[in-house]
Amino acid sequence: MIEKKTIIAPATASGRGGISVIRMSGPRSEVIAQEMCGQLADPWRFKRCEIRSGENLVIDSCMVVFFKSPHSYTGDDVIEFHCHGNPTIVNLVIETAIKLGAVVAEPGEFTKTAFLNDKIDLAQAESVADLINAQSESAVIAANSSLTGKFSDAINNILDELTAIRVFVEANIDFPEEDVDKSLLNTCVDRLKSLSDQTTQLISSTVGGVKLRDGYSVAIVGPPNAGKSTLLNLLARENVAITSDIPGTTRDLVKVPVNLDGVLIEFIDTAGMRDNPENEIEKEGINRSREVIEKSNLSLVVQDANRIVEFDFGMEDFISVYNKCDLYGGQKKNGEGVFYITATTGQGVPELLKGLVNKLDIDEGQETAFLSRQRHVSCLTEGGLRIDESLTSLEEGQGLELVAENLKNSHRVLGEILRPLSSDDLLGEIFSEFCIGK
Amino acid sequence: MNKYDVVVIGGGHAGVEAAAVASRFGVKTALITHDSSKIGEMSCNPAIGGIGKSHLAKEVDAMGGLMAKAADKAGIHYRVLNSTKGQAVRATRVQTDRELYKSAVQELVNNENNLTVIEGSVIDFKIKNSQIKAVLIESGEEFSSETVVLTTGTFLGGVMHTGLEQSPGGRVGDPSSEKLAKKLRSLNLSVGRLKTGTPPRLNKHTIDWSILTPQPGDVPTPLLSYTSKKEERPKQLDCFMTRTNKETHQIIMDHLHESPMYSGVIEGVGPRYCPSIEDKVMRFSERDSHQIFAEPEGLESDLIYPNGISTSLPLKAQAALIRSIKGFENAEIVRPGYAIEYDYFDPTGLKHSLETKAIEGLFFAGQINGTTGYEEAAAQGLMAGINAALKTKKQNAFVLKRDEAYTGVLIDDLVSLGTKEPYRMFTSRAEYRLILREDNADMRLTEKGRNLGIVPDELWEKYLQKKRQSSLEFTRLKKVKLQPNTIEAEYIEHQSGEKISNNISLFEMLKRPKVFHSHLPQGSDELPTNVIDEIEASVKYEGYIKRQKADIDKLQRNENTPIPETIDYKNVVGLSNEVKQRLSEARPESLARASRLPGITPAAISLLMVHIKKGRRLVG
Repeated sequence: MIEKKTIIAPATASGRGGISVIRMSGPRSEVIAQEMCGQLADPWRFKRCEIRSGENLVIDSCMVVFFKSPHSYTGDDVIEFHCHGNPTIVNLVIETAIKLGAVVAEPGEFTKTAFLNDKIDLAQAESVADLINAQSESAVIAANSSLTGKFSDAINNILDELTAIRVFVEANIDFPEEDVDKSLLNTCVDRLKSLSDQTTQLISSTVGGVKLRDGYSVAIVGPPNAGKSTLLNLLARENVAITSDIPGTTRDLVKVPVNLDGVLIEFIDTAGMRDNPENEIEKEGINRSREVIEKSNLSLVVQDANRIVEFDFGMEDFISVYNKCDLYGGQKKNGEGVFYITATTGQGVPELLKGLVNKLDIDEGQETAFLSRQRHVSCLTEGGLRIDESLTSLEEGQGLELVAENLKNSHRVLGEILRPLSSDDLLGEIFSEFCIGK
Repeated sequence: MNKYDVVVIGGGHAGVEAAAVASRFGVKTALITHDSSKIGEMSCNPAIGGIGKSHLAKEVDAMGGLMAKAADKAGIHYRVLNSTKGQAVRATRVQTDRELYKSAVQELVNNENNLTVIEGSVIDFKIKNSQIKAVLIESGEEFSSETVVLTTGTFLGGVMHTGLEQSPGGRVGDPSSEKLAKKLRSLNLSVGRLKTGTPPRLNKHTIDWSILTPQPGDVPTPLLSYTSKKEERPKQLDCFMTRTNKETHQIIMDHLHESPMYSGVIEGVGPRYCPSIEDKVMRFSERDSHQIFAEPEGLESDLIYPNGISTSLPLKAQAALIRSIKGFENAEIVRPGYAIEYDYFDPTGLKHSLETKAIEGLFFAGQINGTTGYEEAAAQGLMAGINAALKTKKQNAFVLKRDEAYTGVLIDDLVSLGTKEPYRMFTSRAEYRLILREDNADMRLTEKGRNLGIVPDELWEKYLQKKRQSSLEFTRLKKVKLQPNTIEAEYIEHQSGEKISNNISLFEMLKRPKVFHSHLPQGSDELPTNVIDEIEASVKYEGYIKRQKADIDKLQRNENTPIPETIDYKNVVGLSNEVKQRLSEARPESLARASRLPGITPAAISLLMVHIKKGRRLVG
């Protein structure tokens, strides 16, 4: 019988620090750890041990803990070495374990093992990666909400109710001779309506969750030399974009992630655009800017307040920003989607950012949202659509088998959020996003 | 010389289909039964069809089987169940004259070439190196054959219970097969006990019909078989309905301690979906009434089959409970109801061809595999007969997939999941329900049957004609456009309530839920109902069917990923011991089949997938 392999990898980032944690999981981890550190403490208790190399040299003196299967992160036996934060020590510990039969874990392999051992469902597994990659406070909170299973619970509630309704509908089809209470069919309509609402609600918090995970993107556009890059630099608080007085200085796109009130917003500086570009390079820059506008959630159209020009490059959602107000003598009254600033001094910028957050419709109380993926949104949307269709079939008195068919499809697609059907490609895709050691 | 290519044991609904179809392969076939006058006997209710079951009966018919043809020759009351729902779940149910049915089956069996009926009780097998070699009957005669289909129904170790009295038997008036049961129990097969029951039969002349609610059959009267003719059908009779009441239920409760089921005498598990009246009263205690159909057993018969009150209470209690029912106040019980317990074998011990994994050449079909129902038996009989014949010709097994037939669903469920209670078909068991319909069983299967050589010319001609008519009609529906404000358009609007505001093809019009073919301007040829049904269903379900087909394609990838026969599940890294054991026992042929086994998670499937891929890389 081939044994499951025992995997090992650093669980903390490489570099020097207080401590580094190395994680090992698999049937041989206890044996290997004993070989390296002698007798271990009882499971789930730390013990200070001396780790010895194959040549019996002490590598480090560190804290070791044994998580016995199935009560561990992966569901298999897990050992954690909490050693001193030195990359050389970490490497030596791993090398020693490998000599004793462990193999280096692939990215995400620990979490994948947890999923395969049914410790967590797929949505939870995904949230592990999201938690690690979260770049803002709201994203951390939301990822945790998903990781602890709140998102899975919400899906499971919908699935349970779907099952109950399906049982009833199927019974009506398969037992027409039995006296099934017809009034129950009417309550089905109400139940489906409430299920549809539930799904819609979940979709909206999930859509918010996708934005949280991926963040928002805001394009900074405008005619040349309006001060777009100056604004970006101000937002980044460091000189990222090269600014000068020469119009058209920004040719390449410059992106700066900014953590705004706990939400990640990526500002993208673009080349200045004018109706009659002078050369090919400028033309190309304008093309790229157009693409950015299309992909962004919002555009900031920055104009020199003293030299306002006509500017229309197909922005749908935008805020007009009038810059260089220190030199401007006219009326400066912020209004709906209009802000007056001086990027060089920062004057008016706080108001602009507040307006921006409003315009993006970022819900301040994101605690209930889940950190989600496009996959979840598509499944939920499809599932909701089928519920609505089943409702239509029921209300229009179409055959009950069509109601059943829609409910079945909804059930299946929603179930895929937690337990994928055709697992191969999906799993590969999901776990490839992980870093090593998770 | 007593040598046959295929020997079928049992003359019930599975046995006759198996024997008839095997003989059509031109192989020398024998049907052994203890009493040839009982061939085609309906042991329980005198009816064929019903939800999910009519689908099976039509599939058997579409491949040239006997059941539906015999039912039409004996059909005295036809109804289409679920007629207010869509085509996919509509189901024909035929009540038959028991005697007419039996003689129709016997005539069909006698008409087969290459088929010999032999009377005798099978008591033993000869098996050599796990290969079946011969069948022995009580008289001492031996029939050698390397392919044997066993269809024992409720006869294997059959025990009948009425009250606390019990007697061995396979059916009232027929002995059970004790020696064969003993033999089979000694083989490497996993055996279990199931039970089923039948209600008391009442004397027609002692029922007060005047106070019962009549239920006439459907008009126009449908047919079950694709090739039956209206003229073949006997006279039609009405059914009548009545109900149990509080008093009935009280009587049952009072006598429950005398019920073999509730006093613990019966160890077998009964069908959940066709429960005895005792079960119904116990399980649905909140209901104070259950429906009963008083069904005539035949045109000439004095017996009435009270459908809905199958019971194994003692005769005295049966009499009391019957007489508490409206219309049955003076009813006389001609034959008491009883429960019967019998051996079945865990069907996960079968291949999809219905051949046992343990003994080469031995096939099982019908109740021996844990199913209940004539139609379930017939479908398995047909498939076992086909595969037994194919085996003698050293050809690959013929297996129907879940998206091709209810027969495929039935066998795949049995073989993959096994069953702990008598398995009966339901439409909800079929994930491709909208594709698997009564109206298109021939479209799905007749060509396959013809390729095997088992479809008679008459059926084949009918099929070709239907196909032709249907394709011409589809072309017409797509070509002919309706214009608003014409007489035709107004007629449709009036009939369906659907508005026609633009030019629209008849085909598009028919897609609308409330528009039916009869509302549309007709072509020059009058189309038979079965063509219209097929067209209506294909058009109305079009969107859904497209989606189902896409699902099938997706699944097909897994269906087509074979699991090597040599796989050792112990070597599949990451599987739990429980999963390893389950897979080792079931030995699924493909990933898709593995995924349908109970307790097999997607995670387990992906581990298996990885293992198979690795194996391939090592080899390749």
